[in-house]
Amino acid sequence: MKHVLLKTDGLSKSFSSGGALQHVLKNIDLELYEGDFTVIMGASGAGKSTLLYALSGMDTPTLGIITFGGTVISSLNQDSLALFRRKHCGFVFQQIYLIDGMSVMDNVLSAGLLLCSDKKALLEKAGKLFEAVKLPPETQNKFPTQISGGEAQRAGIVRALINQPEILFADEPTGALNSKTGLDVLGTLTAFNQQGQSVVMVTHDMRSALRGNRILYLKDGVILGECHLGVYTPDDTARHETLAAFLSEMGW
Amino acid sequence: MKNSILLARSNLRTAKGQAAAIIVLILLASLMLNLWLMLSMDYRQNFDRYHDKLNAEHVTLTVDSGSSEMREFLAKTLKKDERTAAYSLEDSMHTVGLFTYNGGEVNSEFVFLEKEAALSRPVGTVEIVEDSRIQSGIYMPMLYQSDDIAIGKTVELSLGSKKISYQVCGFFNSVMAGSHNCTMCEFLLTEDQYEKLKASDYAPESTLCSVRLKDKMESENYEAKLKNTMSAQYPALRTVSNSYALVSQSRYISQLICAGIMSAMAFFILLIALVVIASNIVHYIQENMKNLGALKAVGYTSQQLVLSLLMQFLGVSLTAALAGIGISYTLFPSLNEMMIAQTGIPYETRFLPAAFFLTLAILGSAVALAVWLSSRSIRNVEPITALRQGVRTHSFKRNHIPLGKTNMPLHLALSMKTTFSGIKHNLTVCITMLVLSLVVVFSGLMTENMIRDTAPFINLIVGETADSCINVKAQAEQDFVRKMKDDDQVKKLYLYDSIEVRHAGGLGLMAMICDDFAKANNQELVFEGRFPKYDNEIAIAAKYAKEQKLHIGEEITITANGKKASYLISGFTQISNNLGKDCLLTRAGYERLGELQNPSYYLNLTSGTDIDEFNARVKQEMAGAVNTTINIDATVSGGVVVYVSLMKIIVIGVLMLSAIIIAFVLYLLVRTMLGSKKRDYGILKAIGFTTRQLILQTALSFMPAVTLSTAVGLTVCSFIINPLTALFLSSIGIVKSTFLVPVGFIIIAGIGLILFAFATACLLSLKIRKITPKALLAGE
Ligand SMILES: Nc1ncnc2c1ncn2[C@@H]1O[C@H](COP(=O)(O)OP(=O)(O)OP(=O)(O)O)[C@@H](O)[C@H]1O
Ligand SMILES: [Mg+2]
Repeated sequence: MKHVLLKTDGLSKSFSSGGALQHVLKNIDLELYEGDFTVIMGASGAGKSTLLYALSGMDTPTLGIITFGGTVISSLNQDSLALFRRKHCGFVFQQIYLIDGMSVMDNVLSAGLLLCSDKKALLEKAGKLFEAVKLPPETQNKFPTQISGGEAQRAGIVRALINQPEILFADEPTGALNSKTGLDVLGTLTAFNQQGQSVVMVTHDMRSALRGNRILYLKDGVILGECHLGVYTPDDTARHETLAAFLSEMGW
Repeated sequence: MKNSILLARSNLRTAKGQAAAIIVLILLASLMLNLWLMLSMDYRQNFDRYHDKLNAEHVTLTVDSGSSEMREFLAKTLKKDERTAAYSLEDSMHTVGLFTYNGGEVNSEFVFLEKEAALSRPVGTVEIVEDSRIQSGIYMPMLYQSDDIAIGKTVELSLGSKKISYQVCGFFNSVMAGSHNCTMCEFLLTEDQYEKLKASDYAPESTLCSVRLKDKMESENYEAKLKNTMSAQYPALRTVSNSYALVSQSRYISQLICAGIMSAMAFFILLIALVVIASNIVHYIQENMKNLGALKAVGYTSQQLVLSLLMQFLGVSLTAALAGIGISYTLFPSLNEMMIAQTGIPYETRFLPAAFFLTLAILGSAVALAVWLSSRSIRNVEPITALRQGVRTHSFKRNHIPLGKTNMPLHLALSMKTTFSGIKHNLTVCITMLVLSLVVVFSGLMTENMIRDTAPFINLIVGETADSCINVKAQAEQDFVRKMKDDDQVKKLYLYDSIEVRHAGGLGLMAMICDDFAKANNQELVFEGRFPKYDNEIAIAAKYAKEQKLHIGEEITITANGKKASYLISGFTQISNNLGKDCLLTRAGYERLGELQNPSYYLNLTSGTDIDEFNARVKQEMAGAVNTTINIDATVSGGVVVYVSLMKIIVIGVLMLSAIIIAFVLYLLVRTMLGSKKRDYGILKAIGFTTRQLILQTALSFMPAVTLSTAVGLTVCSFIINPLTALFLSSIGIVKSTFLVPVGFIIIAGIGLILFAFATACLLSLKIRKITPKALLAGE
């Protein structure tokens, strides 16, 4: 039995738009496990991002409880949520979101220094992560506007991982990249997962979804079904077929 | 044109807060500007209007004689001078006197006239401004109307050594003799009272002579010549005179100070407003590259885009200016009231089109220039590059404060990064703080030297002061001095008298005569060279010396009592009593021109001595020797109280204004900063920064510029404030100011200013609370 990292009970989220209430997430009970590469799929507007923001403490649910470890995070205030995020979550965004005014290295350090004041150890850790995502040292001193999208996204992954979070969240991390650089980023995520990093990723793209070992399908605010794929190996046709069958069953 | 208006409107809508802040700054600037223009374009001219209305004289002279022989000679002299336009001679009584006013004493040359006679004078008439049915009593100059001096109340005048009481029947206005600032002070008595006074021996009979000139610019020369002729012909008769030049200046000193401060504040605030507008526009262009590019892509010209900005800011500024002018008219009456306490000339607030249009023109053109200069970079926006948003206006070539290398705490380091990336913001902050430093130093200087301790101000304005002044009869002088030296309440005694003399080939000067200037209390009186020590030395007013091109070491000839003597200039003085027409002579020096009649002595009394009681005792003990006693302390504080209360209001006003200005400038800067950093703050929140940390970072990022410019500003201003003060007061004869710069106050106020700026920046940054990581992710 795998260790439960994060658990939701009756998670609901509604938005009021133009007077009418829109229920985006409906009573979701979900457990996320340590070491998993969980992939959330679903049609556009299904509520994938909304779910991810709630899980990662970026946003608070309308109803329901989210527990992380022993802590109920769904009832925390904004500042406590910030503290929670900095300690336990890493986040990789579709739009990359590095701060333009800071060098790549400073983007990473600005997150790292929040928790660790030992600069030397931090620089060492950052160095290792940069090496792992295959970003050469000269890139580290450039500014976000001076590097490619793929490089920027890998820098974003380094920033997300610098505080050794329990879970790495990624919302369509390859959405803004071309397929070659997208593959690099996926490779990076897969490699970290294989070293034990728990990952939760939202994607549209079936090829990206293949990286996961647990696929959740979201539709109309509920988890319609899930599919387990086992450890990722490249060019695994059986894996591909299993996922394709699951998706067509879900109405993809 | 229509398109530009549309653009301007959409710009305004998206920047409501900024428009509001600019409105407040412009409003304050126009308020001050209009007040200044009202004061300097019309207020002083009101004196001339009044002067004409009452057909007032340009030269006034009283001669202590009613003899027809003297009057004939006087009339002949006046007729002979072709500068005379008209004159009138009047029976009067004249003596030195005093009364209590506003808790102090008014000491002046009192001239009593019969009421009906005064009202029917062809030249130098008076105007009753308040009357009652009281049949017997006195009419006082309007200036002295106060709680204690009011219709029906009794006022006690001391005339020489006698006291006399009158019921107040009403108040009148006399342009040339209606206040203690003009040497003479007129009083009108009802006929019965006039006859009663005449029958007593309280005040000698005299002739009041009022002369209207063809050219008022001649007043000083005419006065000097007339007085000289009279004293040459009648050396034994006491004469007192004043001139249009002296009176019109001395009645308007507070107006001058007020107008000066208003104009300085107006231009400072305008400067800040312009800097704020300019930095706003530069920022707007940076932020809206894409929109501007898009507009150019669909065919807008740079000119149209600049025009839209111009209209936006001009519209806002002129509206604010109109409001400011409106407010200035509601504030003016209270300013007027304060000012009348010194001028004594009633002024009716009225709309001044010239000031109105000038205010609008100055503000409008300044704003237009600022907009035009700062929006020129719109021309460099190219549609294509702007649309791609590829242009990054910031240059990221240098990584300020790399986090991996610096030893600074994380949040400080992040704020410093912000500081370095916003040079234009820093510039705005710097200019603001430099200006405000000057305000703080000025307030400190005035608080220290005028409000907390009035002595330095009094020394500067009045010259020499002591506790008591006693005028003794010439023959009893030796006896008096001996007695005073043995009196244990007397700490210091020295001769200090003033007598009018004349610089041959120049004007009449007021000579201060002292037996030994080393004894004088105010050793700053001579600020260049030294006091006269020998009988052939003289110190003269620097303002006069400059006008006449006289230098230290030069010889000048002085005449008095029909005699002539030469003196070497030993130093320069600055006394504003006679607006820079003074000189200092030793007693021996003066005696080369004649004997001192009835000398005056200045006394410093031991601390704790009641000056009035002391004066009364001396007067009683030496009844035969003492003519008059004056409580200098009370006299001076009575005169200074107007300035001190005016300055208090000014200091409080400018300090409050400073606080408002800092708040508004920071508001603008924080707003633009939050606007441009919304994304960054969203990201930082997403990776775990708390609101508090970001607020602190934002506020801290302003601090280097605030602290540095405040420190530099305060230091520089501390050094230049005295020369500036002297410059400011130069028209009343001040050349050098040696006010104590209150270092403690300035340091504390500086720290206060910095802390206030920090607290304000924190408060204004509270909006960061509203930035959520989710909003960023949702692409809002
Ligand atoms: N702040 C909000 N206010 C109102 N409605 C919202 C808000 N955020 C999301 N929604 C609505 O919630 C629904 C789900 O949005 P969400 O972004 O979670 O979808 P998604 O599954 O991530 O879609 P996509 O694949 O296009 O990213 C959408 O219909 C959206 O309009
Ligand atoms: Mg989404």
